[in-house]
Amino acid sequence: MATATTQHLLLSPAELAYLHSTLSLTPPIRPDGRLATQFRPLTAETGILPGTYGSARVCFADGTEAIVGVKADVEKTRRTRISPEGQNGRRQRRKRQIGDDVGGGEEEEEEEEEEESAIVGENDWVEMTVEILGHRDDDNSTVFLAAMLSEALLSDGELTKKLWINRRFHWKLYIDIILISPPLSYPLPLLSLTTHLALLSTRLPRLKSEADEDPMFDDDWAASQPIYPSSRASSSSRPPITLLVMAIGENIIFDPSKEELAVADSVLAVSVVEAAVAATTTTTTDDGDVDVDMEDDRKTRRRNLRLLSVRTVDPPSRLTAPGVPNAVNAAAWGQAPPGASAKDPGVETEDVEGVWRPPRGGAKMAVLSAMVQKVLEKGGIADEVLDGLDGVELE
Amino acid sequence: MAITILKPLPPANTQNAATAYNSDSDSDGGVDLEGDVSMMATALSSKPSRHVGGKGYDQAIVTPGEIITEDSQWMRGHGTYTTPDPYAIVASVAGTLVKTNKLLSVRPLRARYTPEIGDLVIGRITEVQARRWRVDVGASLLAQLPLSAVNLPGGIQRRRTETDELQIRTFFSEGDLLVAEVQQLHNDGGAVLHTRSLKYGKLRNGLFLAVSGTGGGGGVVRARRQAFTLDAGRAANDKIDVVLGVNGYIWISKHVEGEGAAAESAGPGITRVEESVGLNVYSSQNDAIAPETMREIARVRGVVEALVQHGTRVDEDTVTRGYNEAVEMARGDGDGPDTLYLGGERGKRLVDALKGR
Repeated sequence: MATATTQHLLLSPAELAYLHSTLSLTPPIRPDGRLATQFRPLTAETGILPGTYGSARVCFADGTEAIVGVKADVEKTRRTRISPEGQNGRRQRRKRQIGDDVGGGEEEEEEEEEEESAIVGENDWVEMTVEILGHRDDDNSTVFLAAMLSEALLSDGELTKKLWINRRFHWKLYIDIILISPPLSYPLPLLSLTTHLALLSTRLPRLKSEADEDPMFDDDWAASQPIYPSSRASSSSRPPITLLVMAIGENIIFDPSKEELAVADSVLAVSVVEAAVAATTTTTTDDGDVDVDMEDDRKTRRRNLRLLSVRTVDPPSRLTAPGVPNAVNAAAWGQAPPGASAKDPGVETEDVEGVWRPPRGGAKMAVLSAMVQKVLEKGGIADEVLDGLDGVELE
Repeated sequence: MAITILKPLPPANTQNAATAYNSDSDSDGGVDLEGDVSMMATALSSKPSRHVGGKGYDQAIVTPGEIITEDSQWMRGHGTYTTPDPYAIVASVAGTLVKTNKLLSVRPLRARYTPEIGDLVIGRITEVQARRWRVDVGASLLAQLPLSAVNLPGGIQRRRTETDELQIRTFFSEGDLLVAEVQQLHNDGGAVLHTRSLKYGKLRNGLFLAVSGTGGGGGVVRARRQAFTLDAGRAANDKIDVVLGVNGYIWISKHVEGEGAAAESAGPGITRVEESVGLNVYSSQNDAIAPETMREIARVRGVVEALVQHGTRVDEDTVTRGYNEAVEMARGDGDGPDTLYLGGERGKRLVDALKGR
């Protein structure tokens, strides 16, 4: 269980009780009138920072705004490092290298073959910093946000693979995420979508040198190559997205606002990536049909969605104080039975209609799996969000 | 579709809010404060001509520290200060320049609430002290609510005893929302509140909404009535109370007969508190609320948000008309009358319809 101290929002017990009861209805009535699966409308643009390799800006209508810039450096690959993945293989290789240190020539050739067959990137080739206005950068919640975002980016190893230049050099990617307005809701999905767009718009100069020479790049920016090629047919993946999902009772609600989070039973951050599509299966011989098929294919094509991670986020609702029912409220005079004495308001009472009671205990497994299911299913939320993001013009 | 992603608007359009604003100062003074889009566009394109010149239509934004004019014929107004040598009028807040005859002032884009005696405000308790509460009312200082300025249970006017001081949290505790009136102002601008009327007190049965600041033409304005009751169409007894705090905090709740700030003043006044019955002033338990009422409450909140987002002032008239318009819109849209969402495009349509465009 990760603790994300979302900004402490002070709400009165009566407000919490009201919000909880509206959100538990079927269908839930959200305070801003959205449907359970509806996101707040976004404004998005890419390529806004001329000094970066790729950038994006996303705004909510309420003024929450995030900017992401991606910069890249060429860095020497440290040879003797042991990566967390493939640890065993590397270690063996190193042993061998140490063993026949004298006849190095052959060994290197061998190794080259090995590396080319399986290019493996290192996680520290990507450095991510998150800055949230009004929060220290070593604040718990900021660090946790950064961890969740980079975890999603790095976990499938696709991004770091793309940063490999040759055996001696690699790109080092700096991703700077800035929330330039005070967070009005938990900013994770906003930052994730902005990062997604920034990475999609990121271009790196074309490599001119060959093999293991010192890398030389094409000066012509027009010839630069995007990290994530836009053509859908190519077998490239896309950057991941992380969505915030919350549950109240049986209701599953997407893109929760601050007030909604304050009464959530459980909150999940679900990271999803659209994995590489295997070779297209349409093998139509008829020339006339091909175009139509392609069109059709694009629309009905099942996205190859892969779940990268699921994190539970501690909902702030657990930290709230319970409401006091009228029956034991000494101050609500005219209501209390004559004998009732003032009770400590901190004492928990059993469920009374209209009185706030913070959720206790863990989330139900069935609800958690339903939340993940709702993200992943065909035509589900991740699908629609990715469709929406595809519609954003790149530069 | 779960998500809509729009392209950013060209910058000229974002200024619409400024033109829509109806200046409250009289514009007979030779300078047309309404501005107009074409003139504004020219003013924007020739940005360096921000200094006060012959042209009176400068809707561009000035920033703190920016010299507005070095001409000594102008007088400084709110949001500006002067430097003696060389003489210049400098903006002290970010906002739009307003000229009234020879008076230059800057209308801030966002501002904190400045309390005035008699204002109806909504506040949230942030701190509980020995004999008073500190209340967040959106001003630059926390307001005070002394224990001696609230009605105590028991119904009679009596001295505040030590028992009351010890039980202070049973009346209001941290986080509680209340509606109150500004009774007194300190020299530093801090307000002292009171809730000595049955119209005031703890809030329940509804939704809170904060609309920030006074600038930009949006936000709550002082009006004849800050609290009113809306007739929520469908069921005859479906009524919704709306309290528009002057400080920009808004409370939308189910109407309970004879309770709340919107209740007619026919109820017992300050002097006759002891005679009233059914006092729920310090209750934090919600009544049973029908889902239909909850839906309409959410709709009213959507209307207010749309009004603010599109730079229209929020008062009894705009909220009432906006609500009726929203009901009509939902009916006519084909998504069914239960559609509540008023963000994005729908909000814009709603406000345009209100303005008769």
